[in-house]
Amino acid sequence: MATQGQLMFARGLGPTARLLIWLLVGVSCVVLDVRYHALEGLRSGFSVLLQPVRQVMRAPSDVATELGHFFTRHRLLQKERDALLVKRAQWLVSANAAHELARENSELRALLQLQTRPGQKLVHAALLYQGHDWFAQRITLDQGASAGLRSGLPVVDAAGLVGQVSRVYPGSSEVTLISNAEQLTPVFVERTGQRGLAAGSGHGRLELRYMPSQTDIRPGDRLLTSGIDRVYPAGIPVARVSRVSRSQSSPYLRVECLPLSGLDRSRAVLVLIAEPQGATR
Amino acid sequence: MSVPDQTSGSWRRILGTLVLAVLLEQLPWAGWALALRPDFVLVGVLFWTLHQPARIGFGTAFFLGLLADFQDGAVFGQHAIAYVIGVYLLLFLRLRLLQFDPLRQAAQLFPILLTVQLTVLLVGWLAVNPPTGLAMLLPVLSSTVLWYLIALLVRLLHGKGLQDRA
Repeated sequence: MATQGQLMFARGLGPTARLLIWLLVGVSCVVLDVRYHALEGLRSGFSVLLQPVRQVMRAPSDVATELGHFFTRHRLLQKERDALLVKRAQWLVSANAAHELARENSELRALLQLQTRPGQKLVHAALLYQGHDWFAQRITLDQGASAGLRSGLPVVDAAGLVGQVSRVYPGSSEVTLISNAEQLTPVFVERTGQRGLAAGSGHGRLELRYMPSQTDIRPGDRLLTSGIDRVYPAGIPVARVSRVSRSQSSPYLRVECLPLSGLDRSRAVLVLIAEPQGATR
Repeated sequence: MSVPDQTSGSWRRILGTLVLAVLLEQLPWAGWALALRPDFVLVGVLFWTLHQPARIGFGTAFFLGLLADFQDGAVFGQHAIAYVIGVYLLLFLRLRLLQFDPLRQAAQLFPILLTVQLTVLLVGWLAVNPPTGLAMLLPVLSSTVLWYLIALLVRLLHGKGLQDRA
């Protein structure tokens, strides 16, 4: 056994040699993961280990929120309820109209012999954990393969598109946010119908790429998913254009957008699962 | 720790603090708290490397680094490599560090923590893609402060014992 202060001599390998060995192991880990995606099993293992821990660690803040809600003033609740009732009435009217339109649409589609749009199933999920988003803008949800999730499904919240399920574990799943630099979302401009490709630009923002400089687009325009990729259903709000600028050097406009959904704020989200018939569309 | 006890109680303390560090990172941090969150696990590993180098070292650092990689959804190996380098630097400066008071210790830890974070940055850069912004250096500051607080606490609990060992 090494005595104090004599570590360097008492052991077989010096710190430098051990450092080199571990660096070698580390680099091979990186290569295995990036090149060959060989370490997904280890990821699943960690997720199974950490999932219950995260559930437990979320409890204190959940309890605090619960208590906060409990002490919400009565009047505030009443006001909220009144506002919600008004909103519900408005929505019922538009829902009726939507039903009517859907019926008409399906009849027209039948007449035109177009295939019907796939039905959709919703899975409620809650934000379980959010890691540092230096490289990958990702969040972890508390639903996984056991709830029928699979890689590639779109995730939305009340305001719009949040992202896409990128990894699925037994009881949890990882979602890549639309602001991730490697995430592309096919969109169209609501006002003009112009199609485009929204790419994440980090910092919780997006940019609309490859818009020719004479395109009619201005700040305030909403971008919706176009549905041509068959990943996202058409018409989900994605982002709002915040700034449009021209550059001398590039034939394209520089269009900056802010996502409509609360990417890192929303705690409850929905995962859209297309029913099997959607696959044969 | 101050008392150079090689008894089993110390293992319990080491594991206890490291588990606590991992648990702390599992809290649902968000927003500014997340950006400023010190790297509890790294500070824990470095602390025990300083005081119990025979027990905690490269292997533990590597494993906990993999865990950190999982947490951030990063490439496996990114934090692991960085943590291992941190442990090496700490072993290099170990005898010096043991003689310092908490404030100076924290000041010496700062460049080590900075190197660790820059390694994470570099490996991520080479392996994946450019990161978004330099906010990732914020935890270096908070981790240094955390080290100062821990060192101060240990000093208060154990008197000047740490200096006896140096």
